[in-house]
Amino acid sequence: MASNYISYDATASNQRPQRPLLNGTRRSSSVQRTKVLFLGLRRSGKTSIQSVLFKDMPPKQTFYIETTMRITKYPIDTVVPLELWDTPGNATPESIGIPIGQFRSLIFVIDIRDLYNQPITKLVDFVTAAYQSNPDINIEVFVHKSEKLQEDDKIENFRQIQERVTDRLLDLAPEYEGVQPNFYLTSVYDHSLHEAFSRVLHKLIDSLPYLEDMLNVFCANSQSPKAFLFDTKSRLYVATDASPVDSATHNLCCDYLEMLTSFGTLYKSASASPPRHIQPTGPNAPSSSSANGTSSTSSPTASTDALPQRSRKPNKEMFYPSAATSLHPATPGTTLTYHAITSSLALLALVPTAVYEGRRGLLEYNVVFFREGVQEICDVEKETREGG
Amino acid sequence: MKKKVLLMGASGSGKTSMRSLIFSNNPASLTSRLGATIDVEQNHVRFLGDLILNLWDCGGQDSFMDSYLTTQRPTIFQQVGVMIYVFDIESREPGKDMEYYRDCLDGLRYYSPDAAIFLLLHKMDLVRDPQQALEKRRQELEEVSGDATISVFGTTIFDQTLYKAWSSIVHTLIPNAGILSKHLSIFAQACGATEVILFERTTFLVVATSSSGSGVASSAVPTYTKDGADHQLEPTRYERTSELIKAFKYTCSRVREEFHTLELDLHEFSAILDELTKNTYVLVILHDPTIETAAVKLNIRLARNKFETLQADSLV
Repeated sequence: MASNYISYDATASNQRPQRPLLNGTRRSSSVQRTKVLFLGLRRSGKTSIQSVLFKDMPPKQTFYIETTMRITKYPIDTVVPLELWDTPGNATPESIGIPIGQFRSLIFVIDIRDLYNQPITKLVDFVTAAYQSNPDINIEVFVHKSEKLQEDDKIENFRQIQERVTDRLLDLAPEYEGVQPNFYLTSVYDHSLHEAFSRVLHKLIDSLPYLEDMLNVFCANSQSPKAFLFDTKSRLYVATDASPVDSATHNLCCDYLEMLTSFGTLYKSASASPPRHIQPTGPNAPSSSSANGTSSTSSPTASTDALPQRSRKPNKEMFYPSAATSLHPATPGTTLTYHAITSSLALLALVPTAVYEGRRGLLEYNVVFFREGVQEICDVEKETREGG
Repeated sequence: MKKKVLLMGASGSGKTSMRSLIFSNNPASLTSRLGATIDVEQNHVRFLGDLILNLWDCGGQDSFMDSYLTTQRPTIFQQVGVMIYVFDIESREPGKDMEYYRDCLDGLRYYSPDAAIFLLLHKMDLVRDPQQALEKRRQELEEVSGDATISVFGTTIFDQTLYKAWSSIVHTLIPNAGILSKHLSIFAQACGATEVILFERTTFLVVATSSSGSGVASSAVPTYTKDGADHQLEPTRYERTSELIKAFKYTCSRVREEFHTLELDLHEFSAILDELTKNTYVLVILHDPTIETAAVKLNIRLARNKFETLQADSLV
């Protein structure tokens, strides 16, 4: 046990490469990834969770996933480079192969309909093994397949599982009082899984407080009641402002992001349309000339000369996609905005429609400011990693 | 103007499910809660202002079917604008389905010889090789239907195919689709847009597009651009758009919000989705980066009156 502890210490002092990296576009394959261990009984849903989150598998298809027979590692590039370890149902702390302390998080999946005794025993085994070598390890418990039960039963079972786990840990030894597993009610059929995994991810992002601070500043200055920084590919949120996350809003943002992603491919011109950003914005841009005279619908031409030139810079890197959807026909409504921040991050914010329409310039200034901040953090992260 | 739409097919083939998806903004996952339709459920759906769809959702159990074909025959088959006959592609009794279909077809041709006929091979998500299954059934149906003009679609409530089928169904019902298309292309020119698409407000079915007179039926057509280069766009884009927006509308309704407008400024294109008239939405697709979305929005606002009158005029 003592040697275990030392070996952990050794990795801890060596932990620089384990620092998460934001926006790492030039990640080398030798990047040391943050390790996350998935545990749980057979058929509890470990592999399903990973497939739905990171492989875009439709939830219905998870039914056909084959049983995992041996430990499998999946490198996942979210905002933090992760290595997910998928384990078979009969894994024990010894069979993992490396000290449990090397994982930053343990995710234990329990089928909400299971008899709890067996899974909880297994969970406790792993918690004790992990705690001895790394007292800082995050213990996350996903009470999974919640869609199978009615609302009341669901809450009751969830509560019971929490109670039993805590009791069992306390029974074992008083020192485990400090171990605070986090419990989440999850299902692959809704966004609860994304929300739960986002919260797991937050504990692995070292720069989280800075990102949150910036979101707070953004919200305060833009009259935004809620803003999320999302990882666009996995649809996990990386950070949010200090106001509580209400899952309805979170669902809305997830669906919005999903819709935008699908929409983006729909109207892409396949026949080599000139990249939008290269075209010059001259006063004699073709749009104004050909459009004149055909306005029998009494609409004016979308002429560019009357309007200030687009701020879009010719460099592709400088163009950031954005989108907005207003959620209410009347003025006191809300607008949901989307602004790309880096190639993999996007800011989604709820803004009063009056602010969006009336003071859009200021809002966008705030976004630019926010973007610069996030990019700076990402760059520092990258530098640290490369330097280390 | 009122158009009678018959929705027929065997029990459990998915008539009520698709109706709830298209007209009630319900998601596909909730259709399992729907019960069997007893006798005929009549609905009036206002579509594009003055056009009213009178939907007859006819319960498909044998006893109902038999009565439609005997005592109720005149009531059911008179003055039909469109008959939509739904077949479960995985039906256990394809022979019986065919027989009922043939009888219905006879009734329809006797009482409403001008009615358009749409055959939907439904639940395509359950078959392994949809293309092959569709072709096989299409041939069978064409044989059975004789000289009647039929349109066959493979559909499922789980993807965009349902919207494609329904868009072409409503297309046959809209009297002035051609005029709308013509004005949409003028509008597209005025905006410098690649394409302009008009959707009905509640169903988000495609009413007309700027790209060609035939609208929905034609896909992957070269579209208007100033620089002469034709943009080849994804052929399934119309129905996919309907599907995406409908799904997002449902999400919004869950948080007690109401979807209103959308604007996108992406790497490849910009898009604006906004209300055009009281009961339509317009989607403007721009590939030219020099065009300001705000200008297009202004155009949409100014075009509103024109389209409002266009719609009213031809529906009298």
